[in-house]
Amino acid sequence: MFRKVLVANRGEIALRVLNACRELGVRTVAVYSEADRNSLHVKFADEAICIGPPRPADSYLNVPAVISAAEIANVDAIHPGYGLLSENANFAEVCRASNIKFIGPPPEVTRLMGEKEKARQAMKAAKVPILPGSDGIIASIEEAQDVASKIGFPVILKAKAGGGGRGMRIVRSSEDLPNLFHGASTEAANAFGNGELYMEKFIEQPRHIEFQVLADEHGHVTTLFERECSIQRRHQKLIEEAPSLQVTPKLREEIHKTLCRCLTEIGYQNAGTVEFLMDEDRKLYFIEMNTRIQVEHPVTEAITGIDLVKAQLRIASGERLSDILPDKIEIRGHAIECRINAEHPVKFTPSAGKITAFNVPGGNGVRIDTAQYSEGVVPPYYDSLIAKLIVHGIDRDEAISKMERALSQFIVQGIDTSIAMHQEIFADPEFRAGEFDTKFMERFLARRA
Amino acid sequence: MKPQDMKDLRELIEFLKEYQVAEFDLDRGDTKIRLKFSQPAAASAGIADIAKLVTAVPVASAAVAAPSSAAPPQSASAEPAADPDANLHIVKSPIVGTFYGSPSPGSPPFVSPGDHVEKGQVICIVEAMKLMNEIEADASGEVVKCLISNGQPIEFGQPLFSIRVG
Repeated sequence: MFRKVLVANRGEIALRVLNACRELGVRTVAVYSEADRNSLHVKFADEAICIGPPRPADSYLNVPAVISAAEIANVDAIHPGYGLLSENANFAEVCRASNIKFIGPPPEVTRLMGEKEKARQAMKAAKVPILPGSDGIIASIEEAQDVASKIGFPVILKAKAGGGGRGMRIVRSSEDLPNLFHGASTEAANAFGNGELYMEKFIEQPRHIEFQVLADEHGHVTTLFERECSIQRRHQKLIEEAPSLQVTPKLREEIHKTLCRCLTEIGYQNAGTVEFLMDEDRKLYFIEMNTRIQVEHPVTEAITGIDLVKAQLRIASGERLSDILPDKIEIRGHAIECRINAEHPVKFTPSAGKITAFNVPGGNGVRIDTAQYSEGVVPPYYDSLIAKLIVHGIDRDEAISKMERALSQFIVQGIDTSIAMHQEIFADPEFRAGEFDTKFMERFLARRA
Repeated sequence: MKPQDMKDLRELIEFLKEYQVAEFDLDRGDTKIRLKFSQPAAASAGIADIAKLVTAVPVASAAVAAPSSAAPPQSASAEPAADPDANLHIVKSPIVGTFYGSPSPGSPPFVSPGDHVEKGQVICIVEAMKLMNEIEADASGEVVKCLISNGQPIEFGQPLFSIRVG
């Protein structure tokens, strides 16, 4: 096990990693920007080094500053958390060159998975189902019709150069295709100077399902079940659950086998998450892989009893999965997580400032991961996540009732938080029934208006 | 904890307080000690002290911190309250690394107290990732004090020199 680890992150995840290190007897080094001087991760680390001014580019994303801190503190390894430098292959390479162990996959694997198109091709080659689509740009209407009939309607046309919904058209039949093709192409040309289009299968009511993976450095890979993350607003997850009500044992086993095989081939190491879209027929399609620990990892920890961050540390120090994990891992109960953000619960405007009261709920099966505290300050420079509230119950109903109770006792004053919004979602019949997809928040907000 | 251990621990704490030791490590197997003395710091009391206090450890293992004058861990996060002189400008480090006062080991320092420096003049080196970065004075005046010892690890914003401007 490492003697000393530097946590290259901030906020709740820095504290989470620090906690795992502490419990394993590893000395911890925190790095912080001037805006985070009074953060909990700084206060609770064995050593702390200021690495720059508030802006992330000058501090947390400043590779020389982070590496220099690692050198003067003489650490064995760096844990990058999530976000920030965690999926930066260059950073992983600099760590390697500086003789500091990067707790994550090798840089080559990070790089592969970071390039969306390459990752899709790698997964496709490994027989992981991917969202059917055109092989690159579509040259003509005829080709478009051909591809569409192979994929099956509905399809979506997307601009190669684009984003933000522009140059996109959903096509539901071959009669509509020619006009929509022209429309998308023209819009793209006007918006991005490039009218080239590609095509993908369109899923009307997709669900976002992701699988947790763990791999050691000796060629062993396993999965730790799935998480349901369809409750999202503008592609930001708000609520996550484990397991997913939509995943059958058979599907779970199929994906487990497929991912173990394919990630062993790719040479994956450490923790990761494979993200899928699920269509109305419960078929899963690969969209991307995140080569790091995820925000919502606690729901998987709750249903499996496995500490994923400790597993990361142990894997990185050379231990085998067979020594880290029990022989048989089963799903126990149901877990739900709410991401509590420092933002207005209705307007969603961010709310930085000083917290004047902070009462966290507790109790059986209630977990809070937070780096905030009373008299703490939420700086305006970083993302607005201030706490994760995770509950674990015998089944989804119990988890829901625990979450409702816990949310009602989570008192934060001085700043706005999304707690009230979560309370409304938990009261919503569609959410309670578990019958939702990634468009849930759109419908929910429309109902509420 | 055994009564004798408690007695030892009490004596140790008194010793640390008397000498204003802010941080103290001890490894035991083949010994290995590390002491850090507290700096005159506007210590942010509260959680920092509480966190250190509750890490009371049996003598046979790692870190014990003096509860009273607890300076914040490693980082000189406080302003150097040492000198109230209004003309005093503090040159702070723009990077993380290791401080060197001279261009090479054994050679005379770039500047000494009493020297006049011009803005832009190189006053020290901070080594980071094997690169020697020359740090320039960002004000002109007389060097009052060097606040860091040679070879000391420093963080972003760490006070390096005080200069009387003018």
